[in-house]
Amino acid sequence: MTPVSIDPRDDGVLDVILRGEIDYTNAAPVTQTVTDAVDRVRPVAVRVDLTEVTFLDSSGIGVLITGMKAAREIAAEYRVRGPNPKVLDQLRITGLAELFPVEPAGPPAAAGPPAAAG
Amino acid sequence: MAEPQQAYLSLIDEIRSAVEAEAGPRSLLDRAAGLLAGRVGCRVREAYTYLLRLAAEQGREPAPLAAEVIAVLEAGVGTGDDRRLRSVVDEALRTRRRTPPAFRPADGAPAEGEVPVRVVQTVLDSLPGGHSWVVPVRGGSGEVVDYLTEAASPEAVDTADRRGAHLIGMSLRESYPNLVGGPLWQAYGQVLADGAPRELRPFTFRAQRPGVPAQTAYSVRVNRLGQGLLISWTRHDPEAQLGDRLAQTERLGNLGWGEWDLVTGRVNWSEQLYRIYERDPADGPLPSEESNAMILPEDEALRVEAAARFAEGEALDVTLRVRVGDRVKHLRTVADALRDATGRTLKVYGIVQDVTARETARAQLAEVERELREHRESLAAEHRLAAQLQQIILPIPEAPINLPGLRLAVKYLPAERASRVGGDWYHAAHSPDCQVVLAVGDVAGHGLQAATTMAQLRHALSALTVTTTTDPALLLAHLNRLLCASTAVASTGTAIVARYDPDTRALIWAQAGHPPPLHTRAGHTVELPRPRGPLLGADPDVAYETASLMLEPGDLILLYTDGLVEHRDRSLQQGLAPVIATLNEISLAGSAQPLAALLSRLRRANPDDDTCIVAARPLVDAGTDNPGGPDDRS
Repeated sequence: MTPVSIDPRDDGVLDVILRGEIDYTNAAPVTQTVTDAVDRVRPVAVRVDLTEVTFLDSSGIGVLITGMKAAREIAAEYRVRGPNPKVLDQLRITGLAELFPVEPAGPPAAAGPPAAAG
Repeated sequence: MAEPQQAYLSLIDEIRSAVEAEAGPRSLLDRAAGLLAGRVGCRVREAYTYLLRLAAEQGREPAPLAAEVIAVLEAGVGTGDDRRLRSVVDEALRTRRRTPPAFRPADGAPAEGEVPVRVVQTVLDSLPGGHSWVVPVRGGSGEVVDYLTEAASPEAVDTADRRGAHLIGMSLRESYPNLVGGPLWQAYGQVLADGAPRELRPFTFRAQRPGVPAQTAYSVRVNRLGQGLLISWTRHDPEAQLGDRLAQTERLGNLGWGEWDLVTGRVNWSEQLYRIYERDPADGPLPSEESNAMILPEDEALRVEAAARFAEGEALDVTLRVRVGDRVKHLRTVADALRDATGRTLKVYGIVQDVTARETARAQLAEVERELREHRESLAAEHRLAAQLQQIILPIPEAPINLPGLRLAVKYLPAERASRVGGDWYHAAHSPDCQVVLAVGDVAGHGLQAATTMAQLRHALSALTVTTTTDPALLLAHLNRLLCASTAVASTGTAIVARYDPDTRALIWAQAGHPPPLHTRAGHTVELPRPRGPLLGADPDVAYETASLMLEPGDLILLYTDGLVEHRDRSLQQGLAPVIATLNEISLAGSAQPLAALLSRLRRANPDDDTCIVAARPLVDAGTDNPGGPDDRS
């Protein structure tokens, strides 16, 4: 299982799918993959899917922050969806949930312009 | 890729999956490796690796290759397994029959159904055994009048001993007039008509020409392939079978043999030896001087020494690097000699094996091992340095210390794993305005980079409390901007800062993405509120809020980093439960040394993460409660 896959959609949304445990053992290459993709695709929005993530340590949190910074640099929207309760806990405690929208798990949004979520 | 080529490849896929479905790819490979090892006399493991490599070289899946190897090695043995394999092959071919080939000629689009001859030839080039691809020649009314051979596998040999490329362009009517109208001819016509494969076994070929064996027994399989027919055959006469098997063994083991008659000067090379030296058999074997000249100069001494020992009667077994074309091959030569009574060498027999892949793999492995070792060493060095740095910038007081109105104890539990010593820090000092500022923080990441960021934050906090402010929210806002401006790689961290006013006993705190303090009063522990505040280093423009509480004598306050409670298999609440239980017990026990008792009992939850804990209790009266303790003014 690869910890990250990238799916640039036709509507300009870059889907970043993270999986498993994102921690100090894999955070560096995962970060690289995400920032490279944002630089290359220059999407209008970046959506990070955490549905399959079971654990984030502080390095894993760092992946989300670096992703957010990369998105902000090109003025792309940035949001995160589908954290499990424990990961959601971490997003709240670290205050990341105050920095970008965190959406509950659910079917991926239909193709179309990304809606600003709150 | 052109359409027909795709069609052909999908046909191969089809056969392959049918073979795999019948007998698991693993067991096929195991069997083939076992058989091969038995024949070649190598270890099963080696044969196994070899088969995998061969499959990779030929760009094929291992299972069908293994099936082929088994078929060749067992051909004619007639055991139950042989029949089973045959049934596998039959099954594969049946699958093909059920799903008609995708390249049935289409009207008006001749290119669609046609397989380019070069594609067929490419495939046949990689197949062991005798195969040829014949294309029908049609007469005026569309009837087949002849078949022309357009492609042939390198090992294909006909009754007249014509091989490989020499078979291409031959007309069946001219070269094998006996066959016209016979059973094989009829089989060709039938396969061409309905696409269903046919097998003739045994099929006896009767020749009438001088120099050609009068009768030769074959098994012949006929499959339709594109606009032509793929003919595969095996000779049944024992000698040929032995020859076939030997050739097969050589090919599979990447080994060739040679024979040097020193009396007559005659040299014999096997086919595979030509292949190893990439030499056209038509040019004959290489003279020894020439093959010796191909050895790399660095290995010349090795060759001379081996030759000297060989001359003294020892057997030869030496691996030398040889330049063949623009590549360097590792060739192992094992040779023995036939000598006369005086010890004079009459004949030399040798086997040459191309062990390049093995040598390359060994060299790569050694390289990887070396890199790993270096990596481990540098990791260990970094860990030592990070631990030293942490010692220098974060000295931990051994015993509880007193600050104005507050007694506190600090505990630092480093991560168990070497590379995980990290960026946990604390701060405890009183400011010029007689406020006590406490803080703990956790920098993301580990090792030197985290330790450096930790030092930066801690020193900045010390300076700010003296020069700028003691307001926890403003302090965090400054630290946040510091980290955001940092050019270091994506530094982030969490922290909690608290200020205690010894006069009013008010505790005010702010946090940045950090767990809130724990507060214990009369045997009851709660998590204090978390005022808003995201972690440090993410966004330079965020503001931090504060919360406050009046402390009472006997209260305990615990600031901690998440190594204390965070564990990847437990929720934060689960991790917190034992800490809360310990606090409650100590609070109820009414110990005279509650802080020391507390810290000796707290255990970190996460061996991957270091943990920093600051425990504090208000001093009822600075004059009576252990005055004059050491101050930490760092």
